[in-house]
Amino acid sequence: MAISLATNAATDALALNRAPTSVGAQEVHKWMQDFNWDFKNNRTKYPTKYLMANDTKEQFKLIAKEYARMESVKDERQFGSLQDALTRMNAGNRVAPKWGETMKVVSNFLEVGEYNAIAASAMLWDSASAPEQKNGYLGQVMDEIRHTHQCGYVNYYFSKYFHDPAGHTDARRVRTLGPLWKGMKRVFADGFISGDAVECSINLQLVGEACFTNPLIVAVTEWASANGDEVTPTVFLSIETDELRHMANGYQTVVSIAHDPAAAKYLNTDLNNAFWTQQKYFTPVLGMLFEYGSKFKVEPWVKTWNRWVYEDWGGIWIGRLGKYGVQSPASLKDAKKDAYWAHHDLFLLAYAVWPTGFFRLALPSKEDADWFEANYPGWYDHYGKIYEEWRARGCEDPSSGFIPLQWFVENNHEIYIDRVSQVPFCPSLTKGASSLRIHEYNGKKHAFSDEWGERMWLSEPERYECQNVFEQYAGRELSEVIAELWGVRSDGVTLIGQPHVTKEGKLWTLDDIKRANCVFKDPLA
Amino acid sequence: MSLLEERRRGLTDPAMAAQIMAEIPDQPLDTQRKMGYYVQPRGKRLTEYEIMTCYTQPTPDWISGGLDWGDWTQKFHGGRSSWGNETTELLSSDWHLHRDPAARWHPVYVKAKGEDWRVLQRFMETFSAEGALRTIDPVWRDEILPKHLGALGYSEYGLFNAHSSVLRDCTGDTLRSTFAFAAFDKVDNSQMTQLVRTFIHKMMPGYDDSPAIGKKEWTEGAAYKSARETVETMWQETYDWNEVMFAVHMIYDPLFGQLVRREFFQRLSPAYGDSLTPFVIAGVQTYFQTTKAAMADIYHHCLDNDKNHGGFNRRWMHVWMEKWLPKTVAAMAEFMSVYATLPAREGFTDNASIAASVNRVVEDWIVDYANKIDYKVDQSAMVATIMAGLK
Ligand SMILES: [Fe+2]
Ligand SMILES: [Fe+2]
Repeated sequence: MAISLATNAATDALALNRAPTSVGAQEVHKWMQDFNWDFKNNRTKYPTKYLMANDTKEQFKLIAKEYARMESVKDERQFGSLQDALTRMNAGNRVAPKWGETMKVVSNFLEVGEYNAIAASAMLWDSASAPEQKNGYLGQVMDEIRHTHQCGYVNYYFSKYFHDPAGHTDARRVRTLGPLWKGMKRVFADGFISGDAVECSINLQLVGEACFTNPLIVAVTEWASANGDEVTPTVFLSIETDELRHMANGYQTVVSIAHDPAAAKYLNTDLNNAFWTQQKYFTPVLGMLFEYGSKFKVEPWVKTWNRWVYEDWGGIWIGRLGKYGVQSPASLKDAKKDAYWAHHDLFLLAYAVWPTGFFRLALPSKEDADWFEANYPGWYDHYGKIYEEWRARGCEDPSSGFIPLQWFVENNHEIYIDRVSQVPFCPSLTKGASSLRIHEYNGKKHAFSDEWGERMWLSEPERYECQNVFEQYAGRELSEVIAELWGVRSDGVTLIGQPHVTKEGKLWTLDDIKRANCVFKDPLA
Repeated sequence: MSLLEERRRGLTDPAMAAQIMAEIPDQPLDTQRKMGYYVQPRGKRLTEYEIMTCYTQPTPDWISGGLDWGDWTQKFHGGRSSWGNETTELLSSDWHLHRDPAARWHPVYVKAKGEDWRVLQRFMETFSAEGALRTIDPVWRDEILPKHLGALGYSEYGLFNAHSSVLRDCTGDTLRSTFAFAAFDKVDNSQMTQLVRTFIHKMMPGYDDSPAIGKKEWTEGAAYKSARETVETMWQETYDWNEVMFAVHMIYDPLFGQLVRREFFQRLSPAYGDSLTPFVIAGVQTYFQTTKAAMADIYHHCLDNDKNHGGFNRRWMHVWMEKWLPKTVAAMAEFMSVYATLPAREGFTDNASIAASVNRVVEDWIVDYANKIDYKVDQSAMVATIMAGLK
């Protein structure tokens, strides 16, 4: 082949200029959209009722090597802080006990969300046809692996330094014991990966990340720092730097389907379901973890919720998507009601079944009670009195043999688990909006606590039939189940979960639980 | 975040810190401080990789190795499981058994690749300052690289995409990170084939660095018909995640991939004065070797040796060999036609040198892959079939 004109020109240019040069990430990325090719069966393995456009772009234009470089710089900072300054300050131990317990749940449950988000983003990468859109989702796949490991690292760090390592060391094994676990899986695991790919994207990115990641990741860092925990902010704020990419991905998902007629038909229903699904769990659980799982308070959950969920997300974020036909979910108003009392209702139940936790819980102190009453007037008359009664009956002390769950039985306060959200509720004791509905399906009874979940059930019951902890262990004695599901410490007898965090208080053992003779019972049987 | 700055912190505010300290017991409440103490270490002691990765997958016990109980809380429309045993033909006594020999968790992985990027950028600055482009044969530079390094980029990109459903469906956490890193390396490789040409374009502004020429070669050229169809089938027509990974990493990539990367570009580049391409491909080959070791752990160490299902799994792997090996061999035979387009170079482009190339690839593969699961292959027959494609 003859030397081309271009070659001649270039050889001349080279003779003139040998300035050092290299190639930037953008210069490679600009060709990305051409990396695809058409072929007969080029379609996704995860069908969606929406059509994602072929020319969708991404906002964070990274190539693999540049991604790795950027993340690795963040890692250096994060691990540097943790392993150097914070370790020398003994920061992993100088955390308010209640908060150090809360982080057992927060970090591990968030880890599950991160882990499932790997699979969820992979499904979206499979579903998208535009290479740039695929690339955006791929970046998220890698980020979520990072976050999974980072969340694990928080528990790992506290395992080494916190004064109560149990639960941090083995959350991945013991977590399935408690009644909050399955609900967590609904919102943070299965909700991200099982369904129409776009529906999953809405669950993960449009709601999970854009709406609840802020309270979860950013607010947690504020509560943590107030309670002496600088470990969590070091890690979580580093996680948060990646989340912008994920929210952008959610935005691009909507952009990519905006011109598809199916979007006009289904998008707002899917969004409403996703929002209700996520809020049904996060609204009470986050509020409970912050307010009941801390010594020093930051602000009432209802305020945080209104600012981030109602105004920022429901107003501004969704507003920005308005031009694509996206509307604020119809269930937002009902959720707003939940944001006041639902977390108080839930803590009552969570404390009542404290032996099934992998963390120590504590009754509200005098200071806590004053703060609750000041911020939630009416709190004392409904909840405060009950805690006083439990405390008087010695619920913290193993020698009392009293587990508050017994009080529910004595007073005929039946505890149900909502089939769709898997969140427990007690219709006769709730101050929030929950109310009992029961349906029969496949020869089995199913309880529900609200209209939105009930609707999801009625249209697709086959998606939500999962049995709950009461059904699974019906008839079994509590200490037996705790032992079976690894709920004990390294001495083999002392429970990981405890009903207090005081220095002086005695720790409960399997025998103490056995003496109380609590038996799992399915209220629907 | 600004709120965080304004607020008093429990660690540094003296009054708050004192209250916290007063609540902390003098002795820890438990002596077990090893996270994941119940995880079976592969080596003598648990590595940080094992601690961070093992049991992050929340599967119930009816998927082998799972620690959870019961059903999924939300399923696909119609009731299909979130994760399930039906997504692969292979069986395992424990899907959490695999360990990446390189013990990669996220920070380890990105640190290495970030370093590769910095090294590559320094290399490019030196290469351009040296005017090293001047030594490259113009045919190699203007014909071969755009067409065939370009086409290789498409092969790598297709293989990359074959990982998406695997990352969605696979039933283990150590598996998921190994597959994810392998996927990320593949998209990186395809970007690196682009980078070589974009770099040449920067030193030589008239040079066309668009991927169009490579794409045409990949989608229309006779040299890649079988390769392309094989990649398309792995990517979009194969649903079993183990089959996809076995076809990609145990058959196609160590054969076709190695032929093109190591034996074609790596071996021939020096003959055409090209010191740029081998530098980039060397990075790609590092990833290949790391992935190879990890995949061997999955398919040989774990699944072929499985104490309950090893024999069953081996039979399936043989079935997959029967299905994917002929396609791969056809792809290699078709690729042979590319050699005829090269300017002749003694010791590089003659038939004996090419046959030696093919023999190296086939022999490595038989030793490292086929023999490991007792799959019988006639090396000389396979080489002859491939060599028959030589024009
Ligand atoms: Fe994340
Ligand atoms: Fe995320």
